[in-house]
Amino acid sequence: MSSTTKSPANQEKQWNIIKNVFCLEGTFSLLEGGEGEEEMRQVLRLVQQVGAGQLVLDFALDAIWVTLRKVIVPKFWSHFIVYSKQKNDGDDESSEGSVEVMSRIATAVSELYDSAVSFIPQIHKCEMLVDQTGAVYEACVAGGLMEHFKLHLRASLHSQMPTSFTLLIHKFYTAAFKVFYHTQVGNQGEETDETSEEPIQCGGCDAATDACHCQAITNTFCQVNRQLLELDLLERLAGDVVSSLLLGVITDHVTTTCRDSYDQSRIKQLEKWVENIVVGWLEVVYCGGRGQLSSADPAIQTLVTNSLNQTYIAALYHTYTTTRIDQLFNIVIEYPESQPALEDIRDCLDRTHLRDRLVSSLRSAIQTRLLHPGVNTTDVLHAYISAIKALRVLDPKGVLLELVSEPVRQYLRGREDTVRYIVTSLTDESCSELCEELLVATPLVLDDCPTEDDPSDPWQTWTPDPVHAHTLKSKSQRTADIISMLVNIYGSKDVFITEYRTILADRILSQFNYNTEREVRYLEHLKVRFGETLPLLHKCEVMVKDVADSKRINSSINSDENPRREKQKFPVSCMILSAQFWPSFKEERLKLPEEVTRDLDTYTEAFQELKGNRTLNWKPHLGQVQVEVELKNRTLNLTVTPTQATIILHFEGRSKWSIEDLSSVTQVPKTVLRRKITYWQTQGVLQEVETDVFVLVEGEEAGEESGEATVAGISSPSLAPPAIEEDEAESVMASAQDQREEELQVFWSYIVGMLTNLDSLPLERIHAMLKMFVQGSVECSQQELRAFLDRKVRHHHLIFTNGLYKLPKN
Amino acid sequence: MKVRIKGWTGVATWRWVANDDSCGICRMPFDGCCSDCRLPGDDCPLVWGCCSHCFHIHCIMKWLQSQQLHQQCPMCRQEWKFKE
Ligand SMILES: [Zn+2]
Ligand SMILES: [Zn+2]
Ligand SMILES: [Zn+2]
Repeated sequence: MSSTTKSPANQEKQWNIIKNVFCLEGTFSLLEGGEGEEEMRQVLRLVQQVGAGQLVLDFALDAIWVTLRKVIVPKFWSHFIVYSKQKNDGDDESSEGSVEVMSRIATAVSELYDSAVSFIPQIHKCEMLVDQTGAVYEACVAGGLMEHFKLHLRASLHSQMPTSFTLLIHKFYTAAFKVFYHTQVGNQGEETDETSEEPIQCGGCDAATDACHCQAITNTFCQVNRQLLELDLLERLAGDVVSSLLLGVITDHVTTTCRDSYDQSRIKQLEKWVENIVVGWLEVVYCGGRGQLSSADPAIQTLVTNSLNQTYIAALYHTYTTTRIDQLFNIVIEYPESQPALEDIRDCLDRTHLRDRLVSSLRSAIQTRLLHPGVNTTDVLHAYISAIKALRVLDPKGVLLELVSEPVRQYLRGREDTVRYIVTSLTDESCSELCEELLVATPLVLDDCPTEDDPSDPWQTWTPDPVHAHTLKSKSQRTADIISMLVNIYGSKDVFITEYRTILADRILSQFNYNTEREVRYLEHLKVRFGETLPLLHKCEVMVKDVADSKRINSSINSDENPRREKQKFPVSCMILSAQFWPSFKEERLKLPEEVTRDLDTYTEAFQELKGNRTLNWKPHLGQVQVEVELKNRTLNLTVTPTQATIILHFEGRSKWSIEDLSSVTQVPKTVLRRKITYWQTQGVLQEVETDVFVLVEGEEAGEESGEATVAGISSPSLAPPAIEEDEAESVMASAQDQREEELQVFWSYIVGMLTNLDSLPLERIHAMLKMFVQGSVECSQQELRAFLDRKVRHHHLIFTNGLYKLPKN
Repeated sequence: MKVRIKGWTGVATWRWVANDDSCGICRMPFDGCCSDCRLPGDDCPLVWGCCSHCFHIHCIMKWLQSQQLHQQCPMCRQEWKFKE
């Protein structure tokens, strides 16, 4: 400290100078900012002389902070507090339009901006002080005192922000965004046809077209943003609303774009749209106008690029994926048209974490829309097939499918007509995707024959199964083909081939079509699929061969050279079956009329002669009979069942029969007879005159009524549709399920024994124990066993609780 | 009314006229086939011996070939002779 400065008067004078230059008392209004450089240097020297650098800096900065806190910031907020009061006084929200809000904000911001700018010289002085005297300030931010100042400004503003402000700033940015969006959409030419007429109202500012003030809004908006940005306040005050507006419009746009159409890929186009909107809007906010990004501060450029990718594109993916997930059931049903949407979802799933949501959403959609009694098995199956194909697009590893479709499989297992439908469509050319699948020759991949993952799978390209996979089936089972997946519903080939055999038998015995070419072809495909050696398929082969053999035997027996033909009143042909290879028949009794039996016997003799040491056992109720029924006024040419033929033949000899009498001559039970006789009632040949008594109705003599017209009833046999009555369409075979059920009964006594001794057991244990004790007698998969046990539960022979089966008490 | 049958297509199963249901050698039903065959009937016929026992032809042939000294019916041990 120098001695020349020590006089008190001098000291006071010097202190005053310092005080004024640095506004230590906070009287910034007196500030001229006009000290010359020389003067400033002197003052700084002075401060250094008295060693007061730190003291002066502390005072000077404190004065600035206090002024900010007590004067500048309250003044800024006062613009909005007034508004807040007005509002509370009962004016409704809309009392102030966006125009007023904009001008209010613009005024407040530019006032704040001016005040802040006026501090700049003062900040510079302080910076010099720091440089010259080595005084220090508590530096919370990098970048010098100016940044420190901005930090204080932000902090003060934030601590005093009135609640109404958020609302106002929202209104302000929303209005500006609307203008921006209007022009943006206009530029992209996406405007809808509403604009074909000259609009009366500007879509941007809602004013009449001729009074549009979009430009004014944009100008004010740009000014406010620029000022806030310079003060580093933009992000703090408006960051949230800037992004929420974008997010809102992205969500709306995605939802609209994706509504009800799945046949186009949308994601690239949406990405472009989002990029346009986001960059455009951020340019307007941060760079002072469209197209200004390239010339903006690199920091701003980084901000825009980062937020585009991290926030908005991410939001697009999220929104798009959730929207599609909500539609996924329809998307699945509409496969393959929906392939593009599925590919989009697949790509999105890699970038979002929505897999779990997808699984649970689709599962519940399936539950509510598909798995209820109102939906046909056909439709459930069709949906299942679509799901197999569609979910493979999403996830070729099949994990999603496995997770989603288990309830469907379980449900299909419980429906009685499932196997029959699958088998029918497998072998019916007119119907199907399934038929096509069958023609693709790949062996089945089944649950009950564990297969190793393909060893040729190169290890370099190996990827771990997704996390869910460990609880699931092996990879090859998950990716099996569609027919395998369908067969796996039941987990056993036998169930399927048994059903196929029944259907084949029915087809042969209802159509009497001796042309076996088609069946032979399907058998070949089934052999490729199900394995050459399956005993059940071998039986099917013999059945088809029976048809071909029968054709040959018939033509030989009925050839002109055969002398027996003379004896026969009508031509007889026969479907000759190898009993050991056919499924068992429903037993039905029928005693044929004498004249019929005689001709059938003649046929039998011919057969015996042809095939020495072999004879025939007729199944009299099976077959097809061409009859001509000649009535007084008409002649009917019909194809009927043997039972129907027998009935009408009896009426030929006697015009009135009671069910009782007819039943005793035909040996057909009365209930069956009653059902069969309705056919002749609908033909108008028989009439029930009293309960269970029927008479022949001959009709009027020809010509009496409308002459020739009534003869229209005659049609040539080849044109007459097979007049098999409806219930005749039902299977003549005992159903496959009945047969299987019978086989499974073998297990029942073992199961009862187990449960008597061990009280209660889970499915797996029962299955394992059966395998041990009943080895080899009957093949039965765990799934099939479950179905069997569940039927027992339904019939109250078992109780199922907590995953355990047990016997009911007593 | 007159009913005229113009054609009758019936259904029947064929069987061997034999005094037993199954082959004493392979234990399979006669109406099926022997364990070496896939198709019954013409392709796997029965033959009768003079002792009136009968077998799948493939079964008895195999049996006879395995008999070194005497060709006997496996059921009654009488000398096997094909019945004409
Ligand atoms: Zn044999
Ligand atoms: Zn044989
Ligand atoms: Zn013998």
